[in-house]
Amino acid sequence: MVKTRIQLKKLLSDYGMLAILLLLCLFFSLLTLKQQQPQGQSAAKQLANAVAQKASPGERVLVVAGTQKASQDTARMVAEMLGRRSFSRVMEVRGTPRDLRLALDRLRDESERPAAIAVTSEAVEWRVWEILPEAYPEFGQVTLVTPETYYWPDFLKLSNLLAVVDRIVVIAIIAIGMTMVIITAGIDLSVGSLIALAGVISTLVMKQLGGLGAPAWTVAAGFLIGIVSCGLLGAFGGFLVARFKVAPFITTLALMMVARGLAFSITGGFSIYQVPDALTWLGQGRSLGIPNTVILLAVLYAGAHIFMSRTTLGRYIYAVGGNEEAARLSGVPVAGVIVFVYIVSAVAAGVGGCIQASQLNAGTPNAGLMYELYVIAAVVVGGTSLSGGSGTILGTLIGAFIISVVQNGMNLLGIESYTQNVVLGLVILGAVLLDRLRGGASLAFLTGRGSAD
Amino acid sequence: MIRVARVQTADSPNQPMDTSESSAPILQMRGMCKRFPGVDALRDVDLDLYAGECLAVCGENGAGKSTLIKLLGGAFHADAGEIRLFGAPVQIRSPAAAQRMGISIIYQEFNLIPELTARENIFLGREVGRFGFPDRRRESATAWSLFERIGVAIDPESRCSELNVAEQQAVEIAKALSWDARVIVMDEPSATLTEPETRRLFQVIRDLKADGIGLIFISHRLDEIFEVAERVLVLRDGRLVSQHRTHEVCREELINRMVGRSLDSEFPRRSVQPGREVLRVENLRRGRSVRGVNFGVRAGEVLGLAGLVGAGRTDTVRLIFGADRLECGTIFIDGSRRRIGSPQDAIRNGICLLTEDRKAQGLVLDHSARENFGLPNLDQFSSHLFIDHEKEKNSFEHYVRAMRIQLHSFDQPARTLSGGNQQKVVLAKWLARNSRIVIFDEPTRGIDVGAKYEIYQLINDLASQGKAVIMISSELPEILGMSNRVIVMHEGEVKAEINDVGGTGQEELLAMMVASGTGV
Amino acid sequence: MFRLNMGRSLVYWVLAGAFALTLVGCGGNRLEQPSRGRIGMTCMDLTNPYFKLIANVMQKEAARHGYELVALDGNNDAAKQNNQMSDFVAQKYSAIFLNPADSRAAGEGVKKAHAAGIPVFTFDVQVADEEAKALVVSHIGSDNYQGGRLAAESMMEVTADRGKIAIISYPEISSCIFRVQGFRDYLKEHHSQLDIVTELSGKGNRNDGYATATDVLQAHPDIVAIFGVNDPSALGAYAAVVKAGREDDITVIGFDASPAGKQAVFEKKLYDTPQQFPRKMAVGTVDAFMKYLEGDALPKTTLIPCAHYRYADSVNDESRIKEQW
Repeated sequence: MVKTRIQLKKLLSDYGMLAILLLLCLFFSLLTLKQQQPQGQSAAKQLANAVAQKASPGERVLVVAGTQKASQDTARMVAEMLGRRSFSRVMEVRGTPRDLRLALDRLRDESERPAAIAVTSEAVEWRVWEILPEAYPEFGQVTLVTPETYYWPDFLKLSNLLAVVDRIVVIAIIAIGMTMVIITAGIDLSVGSLIALAGVISTLVMKQLGGLGAPAWTVAAGFLIGIVSCGLLGAFGGFLVARFKVAPFITTLALMMVARGLAFSITGGFSIYQVPDALTWLGQGRSLGIPNTVILLAVLYAGAHIFMSRTTLGRYIYAVGGNEEAARLSGVPVAGVIVFVYIVSAVAAGVGGCIQASQLNAGTPNAGLMYELYVIAAVVVGGTSLSGGSGTILGTLIGAFIISVVQNGMNLLGIESYTQNVVLGLVILGAVLLDRLRGGASLAFLTGRGSAD
Repeated sequence: MIRVARVQTADSPNQPMDTSESSAPILQMRGMCKRFPGVDALRDVDLDLYAGECLAVCGENGAGKSTLIKLLGGAFHADAGEIRLFGAPVQIRSPAAAQRMGISIIYQEFNLIPELTARENIFLGREVGRFGFPDRRRESATAWSLFERIGVAIDPESRCSELNVAEQQAVEIAKALSWDARVIVMDEPSATLTEPETRRLFQVIRDLKADGIGLIFISHRLDEIFEVAERVLVLRDGRLVSQHRTHEVCREELINRMVGRSLDSEFPRRSVQPGREVLRVENLRRGRSVRGVNFGVRAGEVLGLAGLVGAGRTDTVRLIFGADRLECGTIFIDGSRRRIGSPQDAIRNGICLLTEDRKAQGLVLDHSARENFGLPNLDQFSSHLFIDHEKEKNSFEHYVRAMRIQLHSFDQPARTLSGGNQQKVVLAKWLARNSRIVIFDEPTRGIDVGAKYEIYQLINDLASQGKAVIMISSELPEILGMSNRVIVMHEGEVKAEINDVGGTGQEELLAMMVASGTGV
Repeated sequence: MFRLNMGRSLVYWVLAGAFALTLVGCGGNRLEQPSRGRIGMTCMDLTNPYFKLIANVMQKEAARHGYELVALDGNNDAAKQNNQMSDFVAQKYSAIFLNPADSRAAGEGVKKAHAAGIPVFTFDVQVADEEAKALVVSHIGSDNYQGGRLAAESMMEVTADRGKIAIISYPEISSCIFRVQGFRDYLKEHHSQLDIVTELSGKGNRNDGYATATDVLQAHPDIVAIFGVNDPSALGAYAAVVKAGREDDITVIGFDASPAGKQAVFEKKLYDTPQQFPRKMAVGTVDAFMKYLEGDALPKTTLIPCAHYRYADSVNDESRIKEQW
């Protein structure tokens, strides 16, 4: 009976946070349910049919699209479909409202009038349609055709879900290293500054090696140098913690200042932005239709999960955090393990810095301000105990996503910045508290029984 | 088998006071029940305590002793049962409430704040004085008089971290008295004390009895129960098994009652002839605690290390294990000199150490028994850096069976195991390492009688397999009953070596441990 | 034990309930669709009253045209702003008003929005990336360069064009760079005799302005005036001057005409603080969007000229008395 109880607790503490994450997603999906403008084949067909009903093949027909590629594609399809129905005088207008006005002016000057105007997606919102009767009285009655809208949550749109991943990718990757550090009962406050340092160093290297037009290998070289520099700082910090028993808090606090200072002094306070185009590949590119950041995130998390759960070194990390002295007396190379986790943390921060530089296409010395706190929050929300010895990599991923979903969801709901901070703080508190009430407190209850007699 | 002579009890005024027994008990517990998930910790236990008596409670680990006193101390709430204090029913809702009612519990792990002074600890939470400024002088005077009453000389202004265990215990007792405690419960008070300190503690207990205070005394050491207690309650599996007057019951009967079966002997027999010397240390030195130690251990031998707390026994074995840095000295294994700079070196050389404090040094308490078992053995269970969980599990299963380790699941946190099983897990992890030199530091501390016997058997098994065993113990019967040979340490030096263990009495050994400069 | 369980689940539900309420309370009123659409606005620092004012005016102005404006704080973090832009895009907002926290790192957000067909307008600070700049529909900002020239004019006036002066700058921000440039160019064009002995960053805030000016006074005790590139740095510099007991012989000139700056001018602590017009900027940005929607021609950049704000301007200035921008 106790066995099933223990297993139940384990299940809850492993997946309880996942339930909270899913609840949040459901919640935001409901709240962001909204009319959507359809695009693509079906929308085009709809528009073409409607136009064919309202106008005859000989008449002048306008198809209007905005600057968005999907919108322009839809417009092209409408034009083609109409062409096949022998509408010979179809005119496509793409771009801004200004472009539309210029096209309309031209029609008026040629004293023509459009019989029907098919409008795709974002162009529906243009106020040109409202002023049409006054501005162009010559046209008389013009039929506007818009596609029928449908309901779908903004939150669940693929582009938004990718944005949810995209915004957290830096924090989530750094959280891998932070999870390891916190499992050894340490803390790493320097990661935020290391983001800036890595970004600045790597972009500076790229700029020095050729700047705007430099080949792709310069980007790789920049990243490598940036990440290795971070790794060296991490190794230094880890050494201080392991060898001289300097408190991790103060060691990494000092390194945080050092790294931030370096980032500013290297750049003189300015962002570095004349960088090779290839830089954006990592942060903005896609492979096989999936954003590279998402792939990287998945690969790193899978690797870290296997590392922590299946390798000797992973087990050592847990042991050092659970009871450093017992681990040492069991022959665990404690100092080596500690140095290792600080290196991992710093390298992860370096990778995060490179991704951010790539996302922004620039290296900014004030990047990553306060990120250490978000990273720590993600780790703790993910169920890792600050006192060390316990925690999981996948839990951290869930923790990171909880933070990301809340931030994204609130932006979608248009909640004010001031309120956002309050809500995010409460969510973090609530998640941790729920975790303690559900898993932590009842586990303590069990252990209380163990030491009872 | 070594019997303990109860010399001291003869001249101590230890008879129950008839007057108090005839009057009403100061504390009555009736039908106490407490359930934890999956187990009945206490079932229908009654207890009476009279003023001026010392009532011993004994039983194996898990018998319900701690639960009983935690109910009394307000740390747990009973599921059923009634507590009456001076005849009036009371509800003890919290530790603070218990204290206010005059019930003080002195736990094994003291509730003292190391960085505060003795005085500050005594008055913590109810400082004498006004406006948040304690009146040091008045507090200090009270503290002095309390210490005087229990006959110890402690400066109330000394920090608790500077006090030794016995002195800290005295501070706890003084704290209890400062609350006007009428009932004082002591949980294993002598576990970490040396013999002379224990003597002094017993004197304090006698004085408290004379003052009409009722004491509940919990101990594994039966000799002590016979020495200070008038009556004894025996608990087993959460039930009250029997009650005795101490002068009407013998040691064997108590053990049988506790264990529920009879043990033929406290220490199992072993018949193995020591072989050649496996480990030899010469001139080990570190600071003031280890000052030139020499000895050797042979295969199949159990070498006892005796001495007072602080004699340097633990420091010596930590040096051999590489846990502390050696300042000077040489370690030979199988006759050849080895450099041991870290536990890793020691493990590589087949040495293992079962530390005195299992919880702080032996186990990662929140990790599972299996993971604790695997920790030093991962190189055997892994290939290309990846751990083969199946292999680890199988190996652990083997030891669980062989050593009869009791657990619900291999993934049960080590914290939830009983002391004996924790010790077995630690031993198992070292046996899987195939260590040839096994060092035990207080192997049976905090372990109940039944499990103790099993540990002794395991030690004997090790010896018969030809391993060299070093055992530190503060329990004289244990060290005399288990060792082939005993060396006695005093102030960081080996003072004596006893080859004829069977022919040595406890008093003789004690004399060697205490007296400096005597050799054999 | 029963009580313990009760307590725990009670706390659980209370927590869950409070959490849901918080979010519904914040988000619920946004459920009904705004009449026309939403505008996303993100600026470098919403805790700064200057931007708070701009946000408020924009909100009111947008509402007048039937739009809801969502103002977010970029926390001086380019990456955060980038994420906010992504959220605006995912939500298909009608437009984005951007005030980049880092003009050099804001390009990617602009490109993303443009690709999604959402028009971007920048205000106060422009993006530096040429490619992104071309994608921005229109920029509305103060003419910081001309404002810097005004400060230089006052500087020559008050010092009778003689002596050494110092500049407390903020080179991390492009608008402040323009101010210093205008300031220096004006002096050069007028063959000023003023000697700029040093230009150091005061990081745009009072504390650092104070610290920097204190150091400047140590190094150059003989200066006669200080130009603080915004009001906080100028007021910080003034505090340093007072601390050194030099308020009678050193003049301080600020920039912005912030409420504190206006009051300081009135109290004759600052000689001049060239005035920006955040209201005009906010209204101008919303107007630009409306014009865009109607397809009217729009200038790529609209710079609102600054004006002097000296003692005479402050005496009967109602905005100063009401502590407004």
